[in-house]
Amino acid sequence: MDIQKTPENVVLSLRNVSMSYQARRGRVRAVSNVSFDLHAGETLALIGESGCGKSTLILGLIRQLSKTGVVDAGEVVYRYRDGRDTDILKLSDRQLREFLWRECSMVFQGALNSLNPVLRVSSMVYDTAQAHGMDTKEARDRALSLFEKVRLDPLRVFNAYPHEMSGGMRQRTLLALALLLRPQVVLMDEPTTAVDILTQRSIIEVLKQLRQELNFSVIFISHDLAVAAEIADTIATMYAGEIIEMGPVEEVFYRSRHAYTLGLLEAAPRLSAGSQELNSIPGSPPDLIQPPPGCKFHLRCRFASEECKTIQPTYTPATTISDHIVACHHTDEVLAAR
Amino acid sequence: MSALSTPSKILDSPEHDTPDIMKRLQRIWRSYIFRVVMQGILTILAVITFTFFLIRLMPGNPVEIKMTQLMLSQNLTMDEARAMASTMFNYDPNEPVFQQYLNYMAKLLQGDLGRSIVSETPITTLIAGYLPWTLFSVGMGLLISFVLGVTLGILTAYWRGGILDNVVTAIASVLYGIPDYVIALLLIMIGGVQLKLFPLAEMLGGSTPGIEAGFRLDYILDLLFHAILPVSTYVMATVGGWILTMKSSTLATLGEDYITVARARGLPESRLLTAYVGRNAMLPLITRLAISVGIAVSGSVIIEFLFSYPGLGLNLSRAIGQRDYTVMQGIFLVTTIAVVTSNIFADLMLGWLDPRIRLGKEEGE
Ligand SMILES: Nc1ncnc2c1ncn2[C@@H]1O[C@H](COP(=O)(O)OP(=O)(O)O)[C@@H](O)[C@H]1O
Ligand SMILES: [Mg+2]
Repeated sequence: MDIQKTPENVVLSLRNVSMSYQARRGRVRAVSNVSFDLHAGETLALIGESGCGKSTLILGLIRQLSKTGVVDAGEVVYRYRDGRDTDILKLSDRQLREFLWRECSMVFQGALNSLNPVLRVSSMVYDTAQAHGMDTKEARDRALSLFEKVRLDPLRVFNAYPHEMSGGMRQRTLLALALLLRPQVVLMDEPTTAVDILTQRSIIEVLKQLRQELNFSVIFISHDLAVAAEIADTIATMYAGEIIEMGPVEEVFYRSRHAYTLGLLEAAPRLSAGSQELNSIPGSPPDLIQPPPGCKFHLRCRFASEECKTIQPTYTPATTISDHIVACHHTDEVLAAR
Repeated sequence: MSALSTPSKILDSPEHDTPDIMKRLQRIWRSYIFRVVMQGILTILAVITFTFFLIRLMPGNPVEIKMTQLMLSQNLTMDEARAMASTMFNYDPNEPVFQQYLNYMAKLLQGDLGRSIVSETPITTLIAGYLPWTLFSVGMGLLISFVLGVTLGILTAYWRGGILDNVVTAIASVLYGIPDYVIALLLIMIGGVQLKLFPLAEMLGGSTPGIEAGFRLDYILDLLFHAILPVSTYVMATVGGWILTMKSSTLATLGEDYITVARARGLPESRLLTAYVGRNAMLPLITRLAISVGIAVSGSVIIEFLFSYPGLGLNLSRAIGQRDYTVMQGIFLVTTIAVVTSNIFADLMLGWLDPRIRLGKEEGE
């Protein structure tokens, strides 16, 4: 995929974003100091073990965290098609409601439960359209054409109740619904996790095709590195609430500079191995209420040295030609170990 | 990549309706409605049989009770009193109970509920006179209570931890713990007698004595005026339960993914509250509603007695006092029918609100 990464075509820009949950034991620092730019047409895949803050990050940036969650700091600047910039975190409730779905929509984790069981798909389409001033006729036509694009029987699905559809059909319905209002950015939280391997394939094919036709940007969370490698332009590895390595997909996957990314790749024996939980890195993720000092990964890292225990590594460009950045004290050793 | 994989479940193809009568009967037999109705009829029969024998096991029968009264009031001998009492009722205590049962059932099948053994008025006439009062007061109480409870339940769950939540939940928990007759007594003793908040004596009864019945404003207002006490009692006795169940059901619904998704779609709060949160959260309450209709119709005995409200309950207690078996039997029958129909109604309503059940029914899953 040829996307241009220039400052002019950034659609979403996160700067030092931190988020946390209030829990009984204290504050869970689920996202710490995350910054990145998402460009027009770009697909960014967030990878990392479960519990590292991926869902929190994308829910928080559209302000949909559960009641106990807050965005503590940072900016999430969105650029409208007309070039206007706005900080999503500063929108009023009414402005936010207008913004949501029209500019940035989402496909949630757990497709099976994402549709209201007592309403027909058509009602959900009309509800969404009405909330954003799209007229009924246009909404219907648009929905039917999207259902066709995601390879569903348009009229049947339009008139169906959620329980009349299989998991894969629901997931594709959600994908179509996410594109109803032509958003610039679509957030996807493990859209292929709950479905079987064939359905997963078809969803990925559909997604690739839609992206080509409609040219939206995607932030994509996946457990499955093979899937991430296939559809992403950029990979961001998250560990304990931080992005610890980010760059073009070939760079990050074939020239990993962070021991954790390397660990993830090693845990998935071959890139085509399919979906399996990434749990083969020894040890477990750190406590997010009292994270360890220094590099948060040092307790599980085979490259760890004295400085890793005390000094938190800062982002450094991995190469001079690409925008591959990494926060590790031992980038060269990791690269050599590959 | 099949499109909808369940088309045959949605559209029952007409070709299968061909003459084969056995198949047809089989389908009726399997159909959900048929089963529910049959179940209802069986329930009614069982209850009738059970109560028939039960009320005849109560100590004393109408002849004996009248006999005792006569002996005490008119100074008759036991034999004179028995002879006189027996002629006063169309009831022979020496007839075997089982024979009575067969007679009763035979008549019932023809729609004949018999006559009161005390006053000889046809039971249907009596019940037609009592039932409207109970249906009116209980129905109104339940409706107000349900609507109020569901609304407050959603609101407290939605703004959990706020002032409204704290106040309403506290009141609901207290009300939930108080039995209805205690509420009625408190209304009478404190509201009516001690504080004289309302003219208690004028409010008792079903309507002002002497007022002419008819479809006129003053009569309707009079009916409402007299219904205030029993209706408020029903509301206060049940609203707490509705609030608490609706609140917990709403809290559960609010945690569902489709609510988060709907919010992320930018839906207005009002639509979210009704079609997404409210409708789903209400589903578990429908069955409860049916149960409470039954309880309210039959459980109004004490309340109607306390407020002299001339419905089924008051007349049931009167019939029990006189051992008027046929009237008791008739009232139990009506109550049972009320419970059974409200259950059937709840099932249909649930099917209407929840498409998942609608489908399951036709398939007999
Ligand atoms: N509602 C919540 N309250 C408290 N902690 C939460 C809540 N939701 C998530 N967390 C915690 O935040 C961290 C990040 O969770 P999440 O974003 O769901 O991770 P991921 O999507 O990467 O699996 C986890 O440690 C999780 O336990
Ligand atoms: Mg997640």
